Amino acid sequence: MRIEDHPIIKFKRGKPVSFTFEGRQIEAFEGETIAAALHAAGVRVLSHSHNLKRPRGFFCAIGNCSSCLMKVNGAYNVRICVEPVNEGDRVEMQEGRGDIIAQA
Amino acid sequence: MKTKAEAVIIGGGVHGCSIAYHLAKKGWKDVVLLEKGTLACGATGRSVAGIRHQFGTEINVRLAKESVKRMENLEEELDYNSSIELLQNGYLMLAYSEEELDLFRCNRDLQRNIDPHNMTEILAPEQAADLVPGLNLEGLFGASFNRRDGHASPFHVTQAYADAATRLGVDIHTGVEVAKVKKEKDRVTGIITTTGQEINAPIVIGAAGAFTKKFGEQVGLDIPVVPERHQVAVTEPLEMILGIMVISFAHGTYFKQTPHGSLLLGVGDPEGEVKDFNERSSWQFLYDVVQKTTFHWPALREVNIIRQWAGLYDMTPDSQGIVGRTPVDGFYLDLGWSGHGFQLAPAVGQVMAEIISGETPFIDVSCMCLERFERGELIPEPACV
Repeated sequence: MRIEDHPIIKFKRGKPVSFTFEGRQIEAFEGETIAAALHAAGVRVLSHSHNLKRPRGFFCAIGNCSSCLMKVNGAYNVRICVEPVNEGDRVEMQEGRGDIIAQA
Repeated sequence: MKTKAEAVIIGGGVHGCSIAYHLAKKGWKDVVLLEKGTLACGATGRSVAGIRHQFGTEINVRLAKESVKRMENLEEELDYNSSIELLQNGYLMLAYSEEELDLFRCNRDLQRNIDPHNMTEILAPEQAADLVPGLNLEGLFGASFNRRDGHASPFHVTQAYADAATRLGVDIHTGVEVAKVKKEKDRVTGIITTTGQEINAPIVIGAAGAFTKKFGEQVGLDIPVVPERHQVAVTEPLEMILGIMVISFAHGTYFKQTPHGSLLLGVGDPEGEVKDFNERSSWQFLYDVVQKTTFHWPALREVNIIRQWAGLYDMTPDSQGIVGRTPVDGFYLDLGWSGHGFQLAPAVGQVMAEIISGETPFIDVSCMCLERFERGELIPEPACV
């Protein structure tokens, strides 16, 4: 879902890029955040709560709430709502809090 | 609030609450504890709350041994229905020079002499890296380690003592600040709060850290304690990657991971800090803590810091606590722990209660008396930051 037309805001979309989410190819535009691209592609569950494993969606969208932490190109705890998407990014759902030792 | 009590404790940190509990346990019926903020809101709650046997003076080794033992069973002893979040996987002290490692060997020998069961051992740098995966070995000469050491939650430990004390009849008031300790002739007679309420009591116990100095002045005592700001940064929660507490005296750094997953990263700047009551956090610290902790542990480079805080050590000339009675009758002190006080509160609380009750304390703390400064009998603790 993307807003294509707006009475006030003009959208200047960057050039098309593609990245993978959980191995699946997703199309996006340069300048978008990863979360925006995922939202446009219909992805609604971004993570799960640590204790009860309940789904967490797109919430604060300004890098505060930690609902959208994902593993991006191998790095844990990336706030995808404020992380610009890049061609070829490998984005994965993150289970748990991130094991930086295993990552290294 | 009562207008009369057997004893008034000033300060609702872990020491004040431990004294309150131990007095009540001894049968004191009429003890009042006054805290100007909330329980553990001062140095206690702002500490990283390490717990260790690894000290370098006899008195601290004795107090630590008893205190760790109590921490291990504290929830049971105090019938606390939550967890004090004790993680007892060990405490690692990094040595960045041969002299420092020699000091650790010396401390270990002292600890073993006092307690043959003491588990402190000296590790080679590689052994230290087994405990902290990815530890930077650059400049590392070795380490001191005790697997029976660890850390806990300072809030829970304080609350556990406060709850137990309350059940035994202690009156704990938060949001009540003491303005003045009253004195007639050579003895204290009670306190006056900032709102003018008075409590008459023959015994007043100063356990308010560096803030206790002014109460000393009011009764004519010079308590040589100064506040010194230390700061802590908190990272985002991570999977458990660090079971132990790590400290470096040479760099003034210490860090641990709470059960919640956040790493607490502490750095002090004893030379640079103005000795005042400033409890605000600074951006300079943030720069410093990042530089220093990523030096020790490069794996932290990609980890986000989410907040920071500052707190006050109560520093004395020999970095040792001031404990027990004073030349002013009825005025007792428990402060000046200079950054390692949290962990000693279980034993010191009992020692204080015994002294105040006129008994011989189960650990002789006479070397920690206030008069040692006048007499020049300092007992410098080498193992602290």
